[in-house]
Amino acid sequence: MTIASRNFALVHRVSGLVLALFLPLHFWALGQALQGEAKLESFLRWADQPLVKASEWAIVLLLAIHLTGGVRILMIEFLPWRDWQKTLAAVAAATALAIGLLFALSSTAHAQNWPQKSVRFIVPFPPGGATDISARMVGQKLTEIWGQTVVIENRGGAGGGVGAAEAAKAAPDGYTLFFPSGSVVTANQHIYAKLGYNPEKDFVPVTNVVSGPQVLVVPANSPHKSVKDVIDAARAQPGKLTFGHAGIGSQTHLAAENFVNAARIDAVQVPYKGEGPALVGLIGGDTAFAVTNVAAAIGHIQSGRLRALGVTSKTEFALLPGVPAIAKTLPGFENTGWFGIVAPTGTSREIIQKVYQDTKKALESTEMRARLYVQGLAPVGNTPEEMGAAMKAESALWARVVKERKIKVE
Amino acid sequence: MSARAQTLLWVAQRASAALLGVCVLVHLATMIYAVRGGLTAAEILGRTSGNVAWFAFYTVFVLAIAVHVPIGLRAVLAEWAGWRGRGRDPALICLAIFLVYGGMSAVKGVFR
Repeated sequence: MTIASRNFALVHRVSGLVLALFLPLHFWALGQALQGEAKLESFLRWADQPLVKASEWAIVLLLAIHLTGGVRILMIEFLPWRDWQKTLAAVAAATALAIGLLFALSSTAHAQNWPQKSVRFIVPFPPGGATDISARMVGQKLTEIWGQTVVIENRGGAGGGVGAAEAAKAAPDGYTLFFPSGSVVTANQHIYAKLGYNPEKDFVPVTNVVSGPQVLVVPANSPHKSVKDVIDAARAQPGKLTFGHAGIGSQTHLAAENFVNAARIDAVQVPYKGEGPALVGLIGGDTAFAVTNVAAAIGHIQSGRLRALGVTSKTEFALLPGVPAIAKTLPGFENTGWFGIVAPTGTSREIIQKVYQDTKKALESTEMRARLYVQGLAPVGNTPEEMGAAMKAESALWARVVKERKIKVE
Repeated sequence: MSARAQTLLWVAQRASAALLGVCVLVHLATMIYAVRGGLTAAEILGRTSGNVAWFAFYTVFVLAIAVHVPIGLRAVLAEWAGWRGRGRDPALICLAIFLVYGGMSAVKGVFR
């Protein structure tokens, strides 16, 4: 036996011994972990510890070393190769295996170690609107799950375009995520001639977080007591009635345009920097009505500052009993708003999956569902692929509506 | 131990090693696919659950380990620890049984 062969045999045996000690432990831990979902979760948390990670790497290297020796032994016994050729072939095979395993482990580790610092959610509207409310509620739950603070940064303006442009330029490291309302990434590209971002190229979908209907509201002292009253008033004075919204191209703008279009009335739109300011304007009597997200208006409705006349869901909405569906006056009318997470293009797939999974988990808690319910929001939590397909379909729809309604900003 | 039994162990050791080589590569490819595809543990289990092919594959993997490890240890114990007595083989058979039991518990968890 040559010195090389002796060394290989020795290394093969030592590595084999360590692996033999490890395997029963590995099987026992796996068997325990796979007995139930709760145990699996605790096992994964245990496996994520630095010491456990380090031992995983050591085991992988040992496996590669053991296989090198094993392959070489098989070659010596079964293949008439020269000694150095066998060594080279065995080392090459084991190196390829070790690289593959380390690659697999490191990519898991990358996602499992994220986040190591606070995560920024850019919300493209000021505080007080439904987008902001949704982001804060989910952000709070994700803070608990990640053990890192989710910071909400409000960047209002240009129908969400200001925040979107900033998010598009952010480093795709997962530490900056964009939390828009649907229209910012599905409608703005058809409305604005100049946009500081490209929704299709600059962002990748993560998950649609929540959705909910909108509500037609008027100030408490408004003479309009029903959807029909608003329509009649607009018809009596074409081009006089005004409606406020969160900005041109925003979900509340498009919802109102959809209503105006369906009612075949002529009303004047008044853009604000966000849904919150638009509602303040409405309460102050600056505008006549708004078709706003339930989440943003519910507080004002319950406190009596605003009167709800109709909801955009197909039927009456449980949270607003006694408020009829607009469809009762305008058969077939329906409009839904949604709020989700997208990430700057280039963000790793592992991080995207983690954000999606953890958001889904956050939405599954009874406490979160209850909190969303009282805001008039329903949890969604679809996959990145499903969100991407829905965004594509919605973008095509808004392209048509925007063209028909001639909504254009130069 | 008879020469015939020794030969049988030698063949079993080599055959299980060859089988393990293939199993490790398949397991590795699966791991990379799952991890790069962003699948979570729950999603992976969702795909393996009720899948007879995965059950058969990991059963073969576990059985190959249960054959390979005790035979390898047998030689090491004899040559390094000088343990050639009557207690060695029953101890190794116990180890093989434990490996089959532990391994199949994990396989069962993956399959169910």
